[in-house]
Amino acid sequence: MQRVRRAARRVLAWLRRLLRALYARQRRSIQLRVVTSTLFISAIVVAILGVFLTQQMTNALMDSKVKAAGVQLDEGLSTVRGQLTNQPDAGGRLNNVINTLKERSGPSGLYEVYIRDTRDSSFDGYSSNELRAESVPQRLRDELRRAPADSTAYTFGRLTYNGRPSEPGLIVGGKTPQFELYYLFPLTQEQHTLTIVSQSLVGVGIVLVLLLAAIASLVTRQVVIPVRLAAQGAQRLAAGRLEERMRVRGEDDLARLARSFNDMAANLQEKIGELEDLSQVQRQFVSDVSHELRTPLTTIRIAADMLYEHREHFGDPAVGRSAELLQSQLERFESLLADLLEISRHDAGAATLDAESLDMRDLVLRAVGDIQGLAERKGSKVQLQLPGEPCMAEVDRRRVERIMRNLLVNAVEHGEGEDIVVSVAADRDAVAVAVRDHGVGLKPGEGQMVFDRFWRADPARARTTGGTGLGLSISREDAQLHGGWLQAWGEPGAGSQFRLSLPRVAGAELRGSPLPLVPPGAGGRALFAELEAGE
Amino acid sequence: MTDRRACGGHSARVPAALATAAVLALGTGCANVPSGGRVVAGHAADRVEQADDPYVRLIPAHPRPDWSPAQVVAGFLAASGGFDDGHKVAREYLSAGSASWNPGPRPAVTVFQNWQPPQVVQQNGDSASVQVAGDRLGRIGGDGQYSADPDTAVETFQLTRSPQGVWRITGLPDDARSGLLLTKADVDRAFRTVNLYYFAPGRPTLVPNGVFLPLVTRHDLPDQLVRALLTGPSSWLGPAVKSEFPEGTRLRGRVALDKDTATVDLSKEARGGDPDRMSAQLSWTLRQLSEIKRWKLQIEGVTVEPRPTGPLQPVRSWPQNAPDGPEAEAGQAQPAYVIGAAGSLARLAGDQPQPAGLPPNRLVRPAVSGDHQEIAGLSRGGDQVLAGALANGTAEVHTLLTRRDRRTRFTAPGFDRDGTLWTVETSQNRSWLWMRQRGRPPVRVQTWGLGGREVSAFRVARDGVRAAAIVKIDARYQVQLGRIVRGPAGPTEAGSFLPVSSELTESVDLAWRDFGTLAVLGSKNNDKSVLPYLVPVSGAAVSALGAGALGVPKTITAAPNQSVLVGTQAGTVCRQTNPNDQISEWLCSVQGSDPTYPY
Repeated sequence: MQRVRRAARRVLAWLRRLLRALYARQRRSIQLRVVTSTLFISAIVVAILGVFLTQQMTNALMDSKVKAAGVQLDEGLSTVRGQLTNQPDAGGRLNNVINTLKERSGPSGLYEVYIRDTRDSSFDGYSSNELRAESVPQRLRDELRRAPADSTAYTFGRLTYNGRPSEPGLIVGGKTPQFELYYLFPLTQEQHTLTIVSQSLVGVGIVLVLLLAAIASLVTRQVVIPVRLAAQGAQRLAAGRLEERMRVRGEDDLARLARSFNDMAANLQEKIGELEDLSQVQRQFVSDVSHELRTPLTTIRIAADMLYEHREHFGDPAVGRSAELLQSQLERFESLLADLLEISRHDAGAATLDAESLDMRDLVLRAVGDIQGLAERKGSKVQLQLPGEPCMAEVDRRRVERIMRNLLVNAVEHGEGEDIVVSVAADRDAVAVAVRDHGVGLKPGEGQMVFDRFWRADPARARTTGGTGLGLSISREDAQLHGGWLQAWGEPGAGSQFRLSLPRVAGAELRGSPLPLVPPGAGGRALFAELEAGE
Repeated sequence: MTDRRACGGHSARVPAALATAAVLALGTGCANVPSGGRVVAGHAADRVEQADDPYVRLIPAHPRPDWSPAQVVAGFLAASGGFDDGHKVAREYLSAGSASWNPGPRPAVTVFQNWQPPQVVQQNGDSASVQVAGDRLGRIGGDGQYSADPDTAVETFQLTRSPQGVWRITGLPDDARSGLLLTKADVDRAFRTVNLYYFAPGRPTLVPNGVFLPLVTRHDLPDQLVRALLTGPSSWLGPAVKSEFPEGTRLRGRVALDKDTATVDLSKEARGGDPDRMSAQLSWTLRQLSEIKRWKLQIEGVTVEPRPTGPLQPVRSWPQNAPDGPEAEAGQAQPAYVIGAAGSLARLAGDQPQPAGLPPNRLVRPAVSGDHQEIAGLSRGGDQVLAGALANGTAEVHTLLTRRDRRTRFTAPGFDRDGTLWTVETSQNRSWLWMRQRGRPPVRVQTWGLGGREVSAFRVARDGVRAAAIVKIDARYQVQLGRIVRGPAGPTEAGSFLPVSSELTESVDLAWRDFGTLAVLGSKNNDKSVLPYLVPVSGAAVSALGAGALGVPKTITAAPNQSVLVGTQAGTVCRQTNPNDQISEWLCSVQGSDPTYPY
């Protein structure tokens, strides 16, 4: 019992799983949905048709049987009337009549006969062969007894026999003034016919339903496959493969869809190509300008150096001051030019990664050492939070150092003399460096803008301080070149934090960062600068 | 076939509406019954046996509480004729005290022609006597043997009224106590005559034993037949035949019928019998049921394998044990002999008599032995029996028997299949049976059942056990059937003659057509003209043989599957044009007389 229940439960669970899988598949596939509904509806229709047909067939068969039986009965009744009415002694001749009647029944199994003399109560009539008198149902006898003379009646019932199983049958009865005559027709042949018919109907129905389902499947396939191809084409187009085109076949609606899709794709490709060309020209221009400026700048630089060295010898101190100014602005110009050149290299895709396995702590220490002087001048102290074990990663030393310098300089400049915290962390896949300052912080939305070219937190601020305005942009490009992220968090009054996350292996995909972007203990609402470099 | 094409075949490019119409037409119009087509040949049913005839059963009425004693007796007598459920309804007429009345599956029956209405002869208070009078015809014993015993009989029933006020039978007449009282109509309806086959002693030939079996249901008939066969031959044939089944052999369970294969499972006593001979008896007995085509003999559930047939025996096997002899079973034709126009013996080849080399006018009523080696006949006056060898186309006869005095004469002699010659010497009121075994002198059979009567014809059946005779009883020549009991030294007794049919009133000559049928020249229903008839020995209805003019027939001879030959007074021999068609015309083209088939 237990086992049965368990098995039943298992089967139920399995069925439920199957149904759920089917349902899920059906939600995803038009074809399956169409086939399922075709199956379902056609099964219902075929079932109704089958029942109707069988009913009709049964009625027709029974009608003809009843008619034939009536004719037989009439013949028998006329025999009874002819042989038993006009003569006085009926007893002996009843035997002859039943002998005549039985001759026509017999092994052919067409019918059995039961005759009864209503006036002789000493016996209950004669029946042919193995037929038992109980085969004639009481309702038929009663009906005939009540009916006027020379009337007939019929009903369906079970024929019972001596020594063999009963079978369904048609029982017709008629009476003369003295005799009741019943003919009993076995319906086994009809039953057999009906069984064969219904079996073939079921077979044909199943085949029909399956055929319909197959047809539906075929038809939907013809529609669904081009649609599916179009969907795939659109997906690839969306993924940036602008050369993707659909195959155009024929002149139907789907061909029209494919043609419009292709037109759209061609237009899109053309426009995007134009835009790319345009930006290519711009980048080329910037690069060229930077290069072209460098040669005269070198000359100017030599001249300016000379002026600067001799600034003490100028009589007018204002001239000396100008030479100093010239010198500093030239340095700034040079670095701007270098930055422009660097960023144009990035834009042109010419930047290459020169990766080697390094300990991030060494890089950080060296970068901090470089800016130590600047920090002290600003009154900031740099705190280091370094892990005890090495944080090895495949990185480009030059680029990471540049990032670190940019971040640290940025922190010192906006640190308002507060302490600067540099933390390093590593996990299995990635290393991260976070630089935290406690300066003015960032306003909402500025977390994104800090990486824009030439963006300044305060436009009014003089450009004298700080770098070129390209440092963070270049840093971000460098981080992206590693496959890493450079992200900023900030809150007005609470300072800001920049986090650099790099994969341990160059080019590997970065899934997370070992350090949080929002520093622990930073109160208030976190400003998420979701700037995954990959996106 | 052509009709269908008209409905179905449309070419490919049709408008949708037309296609729909075609589909509709296919659905309705093509569902026709064929009105033409090729001719399909088939087989007629292999054989139709008498047991397959439809039959009629009487439905007994239950006794009603308000019935008078006379009605109760009438109801009881009617209910006795219904064999359903072991006479359950008839027992309801009896009081509880006599409820042990049980006629059983093979009851003894007293047969009456008809009943007078029951008469209450005495009624006082709660008891009554009812008498029924009727013309008794005879009795059927428990073994199925019918014996005539015509008389007027009165049967008396005792009835009492029960405390509930219904009349019930408490005392049955003697005849009804251990059997049934039935009218002839009841017996005709409820009984079947079937043949049980037993061996003639010392020979492989089977002898049919016709018995009456009550037909309760057709499905029980195989069981009934086998049980009856195992019970043994009826009292009439019993002394003359031998059953191969050892004493006490029973049928285990029922005869199992699987499609057309029956399985007869016998009890362990059957191990004492010869399987071949038992199989032959069962095969020939089961032949009468058309539903059985093959059968298996089992003893205690183990199938027996007789050598000639294997385990699965066709029901038509064992031709060597045929009652008519294996030749007849194989359908071999035998030439007939006639006394030609010139008075000499001639062999009949087609319709042409070929002289067989016998001096003319030596003998009449010839008989030829089965091996064509011997010939016998009567002298012209019928006062001598002549016999001789028939070899190489020459024949020589000598006198075998001469009548004892002028008042007697001999009947036409006949051989049986052993070569034994039989003839009866008869006078107006006495007769003697003579026999002569081959190579021995003729002897008189000591025990002869018809010794006190005139016998005008005597023929031994091909099985050698039964004999048919035309006996003069009450100034009428009647066909009777008797049996010959053989001892170790030869036939010792011929007797127990019983009338075969009461339909033929005057009989002239007879011959065995096959083991179940006699060809008899006789007249029916007091008709003066003598005609050939086929008389089944089972007692079934006599049927006329052939059609057309025949003249005055004198002698008749017959053989299995061959034309019946009739010799007429005009000196022609007539044969049926088609031996297998019972009503085919007579063809009287052979000049001659006294036709005979070798036995």
